[in-house]
Order: sequence, then C-alpha cells, then structure tokens
Amino acid sequence: MLGFIARRCGLALPSLFGLLVVTFVLVRIVPHDSAAAMAGDAATPEQIAKLTKEAGLDRPIIEQFVIYVGKVARFDFGESAFSRRSVASDIKERLPATLTLTFCALAISITVGIPLGVFAALRHNEWPDYVLRIVSVLGVAVAAFWFAIMLQLLFSMQLGWLPLRGELSATMSRPERVTGFLMLDSVIAGRWDALGDALHHIILPALTLSLGGLASIVRFTRAGVLDTLQNDFVSYGRAMGYRRSRLVWRYVLRNSVTATITQIGLLFGGLIAGGVVVESIYDYPGIGSYTVQAILTGDNQVMLAVTLMVGVVYAAVNILTDLVHGLVDPRLLDKP
Amino acid sequence: MSAPLKLGRRALGGIAAAAMLAPGRTTQAADPSTYVSGWALPFNLDPHQVFDVPMQGVMLNAYDGLYRYQNDPPEIVPWLAESHTVSDDGMVWEFKLRPGVKFHDGSEMTAEDVVYSFRRVLGLALAPAGAFLPILTADRITAPSKLVVRFELKTPYAPFFSAIPIVSIVSPRVIQANEKNGDWAKSWLAANGAGSGPYKIIPTNYRPLELLDMEINPDHFLGWGHNPKPVKRIAYRPVKETSTRVLALLNGSIDCTDTNLPGDQVERINASKIAFVQKDLVMRIFIIRMNNTKPPFNNLNARKAFAHAFNYSGFINDILGGYATRDPYPMPDNLWGIPKDAKGYDYDLKKAKEYMAKAMAEGAPMKRPFEIHVQSDNDQALQSGQLFQSDLAQIGINLKVVGGVWGNLTANTKTPETTPDMWVHWVSTYFVDPENWVGQMYDSQFHGTWKASSYYKNAEVDALLRKGRATLGQEARAPIYEQAIRQIMIDCPDIWVYNSMQLQGLSKRIKGRKFCTVGQGSEMRTVSLEA
Repeated sequence: MLGFIARRCGLALPSLFGLLVVTFVLVRIVPHDSAAAMAGDAATPEQIAKLTKEAGLDRPIIEQFVIYVGKVARFDFGESAFSRRSVASDIKERLPATLTLTFCALAISITVGIPLGVFAALRHNEWPDYVLRIVSVLGVAVAAFWFAIMLQLLFSMQLGWLPLRGELSATMSRPERVTGFLMLDSVIAGRWDALGDALHHIILPALTLSLGGLASIVRFTRAGVLDTLQNDFVSYGRAMGYRRSRLVWRYVLRNSVTATITQIGLLFGGLIAGGVVVESIYDYPGIGSYTVQAILTGDNQVMLAVTLMVGVVYAAVNILTDLVHGLVDPRLLDKP
Repeated sequence: MSAPLKLGRRALGGIAAAAMLAPGRTTQAADPSTYVSGWALPFNLDPHQVFDVPMQGVMLNAYDGLYRYQNDPPEIVPWLAESHTVSDDGMVWEFKLRPGVKFHDGSEMTAEDVVYSFRRVLGLALAPAGAFLPILTADRITAPSKLVVRFELKTPYAPFFSAIPIVSIVSPRVIQANEKNGDWAKSWLAANGAGSGPYKIIPTNYRPLELLDMEINPDHFLGWGHNPKPVKRIAYRPVKETSTRVLALLNGSIDCTDTNLPGDQVERINASKIAFVQKDLVMRIFIIRMNNTKPPFNNLNARKAFAHAFNYSGFINDILGGYATRDPYPMPDNLWGIPKDAKGYDYDLKKAKEYMAKAMAEGAPMKRPFEIHVQSDNDQALQSGQLFQSDLAQIGINLKVVGGVWGNLTANTKTPETTPDMWVHWVSTYFVDPENWVGQMYDSQFHGTWKASSYYKNAEVDALLRKGRATLGQEARAPIYEQAIRQIMIDCPDIWVYNSMQLQGLSKRIKGRKFCTVGQGSEMRTVSLEA
C-alpha cells in the first residue's frame, strides 16, 4: 500500500513541476504590468519603476523562475499585489469555504446520483429511465450561472426560504476561528445559531455546484449497473432466491461503481474549478471568487499559487481515487 | 462564554436538518443599527497604499484628513485642521490643527502625527503619493509646534491644497509597533486600522475584498450631536454580480448597491416597496482616447473625422437610458475652468466623411484596420466600442473591438508604441481641481501614464497648464485653464463623451445621506436607519 502511494506521488511531482513552468511562463508573457497595477491609478512612471525593481520583475525570466521555485519549496507563495498579505495566508483563509462547498456539492451528487442511477438502470427503457436520462442530459447542459439565478429567484426572492448570497448573515457574528471551517468552528464554539445560518447559506450554492456532477454520476452509475445486470452471477443470484434489494445494493452495485468512482475523482477537481462561477454568483468567500479577482486585477502571485494548489488537489484526488479502486478491487494495488 | 460541545451525531444531524428546514431567515439588513453595504471594498485597507473610489469609502468613515470635501458641488472644509495659511509665493503652507482629537488607539493627535502620515505616504510612494512626489520631500514636512504643521514645497503648486484631503492622518504609535525592516507596516495596515474617523475598523472581521465590519467611534472629534440615531455598525458585504446585487437590494439583504447600476435596472428597483435608485451628478468623465502618435491619429483632420463619427446622443439616450449628461469638454462641465463658449464635436457622419477625405488627401492612412481597446468586464465600455464600430463602418472605416482587463489596458499605455489606436476609460475625481483632469491628461510631462495616453503635445498648452499649476487662487487660474481647454478642443486629441450620472440603489430605510462627488456618497456619519 505504502509503495503504491509513493509510486503515485512520484508520478505526480513531474506533472506539478510542468504545471508550474507552464503557468509561470503564461503569466509572465501576457502584456500585463503587475507593478503598474500594484502602484494604482494615480501612480507616476517613477513609482512604477521602483515597484518593478522591488518585486524583481526587471530580472531575466529564468532568474525569476528559479527564485520562485525556491520560495514555493519553502511554501512561500509571495505577497498578493493587492491585499498586501501573504498569498499562503489568503488561501488558507479561503480554502475551508471552498472545500466545504465542494464536499457538500459532492455529497449531494453522490447520495442522490447513485440511487437515481441504479433506479434508472432497474427501470431500463421505462418512463422513469426516460425522465432521468432527460434530466441528466439537462444537468450537464444547463449553465451554472443560469441555474443559480433561477434558484435565487425561486427560493430567495419568491418563497423567501433561503438566503440569496454570502456565507453568513451580515448581522450574525462569526464564531471564533479555530479550524477556519465556519461550520466546524460554530460547533466547537457551541454557536448553533451560526451553524444554522451557515447551513442555510450553503444550500443554494451547493445545489448549483452539484448539478453537473449529479447528472454525470446518474449516467455512469446507470451504465455500470446495466452492464453488470447482464452477468451470469446476477441470474444465478436471482435463481437462488436472493432478495432483489440485497442483490442490487450488495453485489450489482459493487461491481458497477468502478467507472463511477473514477468519475467522482475527476468531479472533485472539476467542482473546485466550477466553484469559480458559483462562488462569484453567490458571493461565497472561497478560492473561486479570490481567483476571479486575481485574474481581473492581474495579481500574478495569486494566479500562480491558486493554479498550483488546484493542481495539487487534482493529483491528491487522483491518488485517492486509485486507492479507493484498490480497496474495491485489491488486485489493482499490485499493479505498477 | 459559549457552552462546550456535548452533542452526539444524532443531535448534530437533527440540528443541521432543523436549520436547513427553518424558513424565513433571508432578510439580513433589517437591524436598524447595522448598515449593510453591497459596494466593493478596496484591495486592502491602507489609505496610503490604495487610492480609488472604494478606498474613499473606507477613508471617509475610518479616517480623518486635514481638510475634507463636503456637499454637492464639493467644498473643501476644515477637518482635523482648523485653518491654514500660505505664503505669497505659494511655497510655504501652514496648517493649524484642532486640539483634543483622539485616535482610535486613545492617543491624542499632534502635528508630529501629521508629519509622520505625510512622510509615510511619500515613503511608500504608491498611488496617493502621485500628487505630492514632484513637489515635496520628507524633510520639507515639519512640525514647528504641537499643533502646527508646515509644508515647504519645492515649486509653487496651486493644486496642493485640493490634494490635501487625499492623505488620511494615521497614528504612528500603532503603526510603528508593527513595522518590520522599515516597511512602514504596510502589510499590517493593509488589514487593520490606525485612524481617528467616526467608525473603527474591526480587524477580526476583515477578509480582503470579501467582508469588513466597522463599529461606531463614540469619541469622534465632531461628536454625534448632528445625528441622534447614527448607524452603530457598518457591514461591508460586496456583491460581485450585478444581478445578485439588485436581487439583494430588493430582498433587503443589503442597504446599498455600488454606484454603477445599469440603467435598465432603474425602473425595476423603483417599483420596489423597499428600495429606490438615487441619481447624482458626479465628476467622472467618459473618454475615448486616440493615440496621437500613430498615423492617422497624428493628423488633425483624421482625429476630427473620428470625433464626428461617434453617436453621442445615441449612446447616452438609447444605451445609457439618458442617465448621463453630454459633456463635450475634457473635464467635468460642472467644474470651474470650463470655457462654456467653446463648441464641442457633434455626431455628423457627413462632416466625418469630409474630414476623412481631407485627411486622406494629406496622406493619412484612413483605410487601415483600427483597434479600440475596452475593459471586457465592463458592459458600457464594450457597448461604446460596438456602437463606434457600427458608425465607422458606415464611412468605410474598419474598427475591431478588443477586450482586456484594466491592468493590461493601463500597462499598454506606458509607451506610444504599445498604446493602442484607441481605448476607452473614465477619469474620476481624485481631487477637485483641473489638474486632476486636463493638467495630468494633456501636459506632455505626464506621457507614460495612462491618464496622458493620447500622447498629445502642444507647447502652448504645456505652458498654460504649467502656469495654471503655479498660479494661486481659483479666480486667477480659471482663465488660464479656459484658454488651455479651448486650444485642446481645437486640437481634438481625444473624443470626450459624457459626465457621469451616478445611479445607486438604496434602501428606503436610509435617512440623512449627504452626497459629495468625492467618495460618491459613501460617508456614513450623517446616516441613520429607520426601523
């Protein structure tokens, strides 16, 4: 097991270094002057020149890259040109919100998607299957920003059930920061009012973010279950008088979820990227909205750090996915 | 103290389910002591590092300056200073400070603190320093007594007094305690407060560009006699998307939107029972810049052809819904120094064709493809480019609209070679003086800055603008600027479109709001909220 993890980590490192090189070069070759942006609208050319020198932007690009890699190795991602704080601390402050949102969305996608996929397969070519196929195609096709606005109009404006935006009501005091995860901190502080408020605020963003993943999981699970149902062991199980529910949930599903697990692994990275739009619409204060700001303002250090962070998350989730595959089918752990 | 955690998984699940099912928790701004602002926050909280409209909102509430702009039209009034004197040659300025002013840290403000604040601005040399760096060095700012500050300028500079409100006075005690390697504590003040203003920054409730809370400062030097029911807490919760911003105002989640509300949202908001749209004329002009060094823009007739080809009234009335006023001058038409008799350029494609023919006869390459660069995240800028594209096509000119982000657009203007054929931007009020507009836009010494990106050069205009800068007194300066603007308009270096009307969605529970173009109505000192 440990050898398997070490092999996978070893393979991930060159990919991450490649990502760093490509991102660094892309950020440097676009015609954007970070120093000018940092100096502000009313800055003189002398002020901009001073900042360019301070930030080392007047040095050759190779030298800049070597310095940057050295810093990254020490987990120093530099200072945001605008917030003037360390990028690492900005990310640390925002990552919990993104992870909470992503896990909630993933939980919705999995807990709703897998049963629906199984159900659709069991009702193959009947009306529930047709309805679910249409819904799952729509789920993939519908734009997140449109779905978000529809949810806001219905649940916030029309029915008044759920908050429109944000992570916590403006009039609600925040619990003391311990872990950075708002809900967890609320629980630790015994602040049930804040927990309830935070849960209220995450429902619409999580639903929006889960839509695409849910549709994919329904389709993959349906296809996997349909395939497995053709196997002889299923006919044998039926002939032996196994209860239908036991046969499906215990044996058929276990043999059908390999593709779904892979899909869930890919989805996780996709959800972090998809959060950019969802967080912006709902003003959910995670990495997504931070990234949008960084792109619009040309905050290079932030763009580099966030890209690398998403790369690391992708790599970690891929390794985790391989591990789960291994748990489902231990023969895979022995393969190089 | 909060109760420790003693709940099991089932109980937690129950609480979560109950919280998710409980309806009716959507209205966030109903508390009469808390004002929820949906306006953008500045990039950080240090008023000596950032200088833009969102920062003015922070400065006016959390900090004080020696003087402050108040009212509409703006008047500069004594604030931390009681009065000032200036030498006959305009070189020595002395400000007498108000006694007994306390910073939020409890310490008393003295002239040494004012000296420190101005030296910090110069030392950081970021945006707010732009107005002072050419005329002031640290050693020229002194404190002859506890309540007198003296500035000895390197050269006479009349806009100096207009720029004084730019500088927020900070407490050196808290800043110096957080300095590292002589960095003026710029990282610390980026996320904290060190002022004396009517509201105090709560650093624990700050996350860059996401949220900020301020609480009332009961000891503000002006007291609260003018407002018996002031707002106790300001909660800044910037809303990024326009559609969400409008919905948030309409369901009472926020008390105000930003000031760039699209015209098509006005009727919708005004139909609401809880919100309305406030319209205020501000000093913010919309310009299409032409790169005067690139052929054919180095030809006067070519520039005039372009100036006559923009559909001013179509843009203002049809696209902006009439929420702007046509301003044919290179400066807000509600500021002094405007030659009201000067005639601007009108939309006339016949004239445009005539000037185009003249330019071509003089060898100007009018048939080459052109580019206009706009901020791609700004609908209005994009629409202006598209409208111009359509009108120019009618006279046989091929214009391509190119999108970009603000940082890239301004970075491109560093040299005439990298500056595009044309680009679109606004010039807001940084300080109320012609220097803020024509002074910095058309004096050739500012070439290389985005404000002077038309790379216009006329020796006569340069001399007039420098004379205007060195002459004291508005009455003496006004005719100088009028003469300079007349000449600039004849030379037609740019296309001047409109002066802005600010549209801001406000909750009807807001009372006592006072508008000033500087800060664009973000000062909260006089505001109260109805229950």
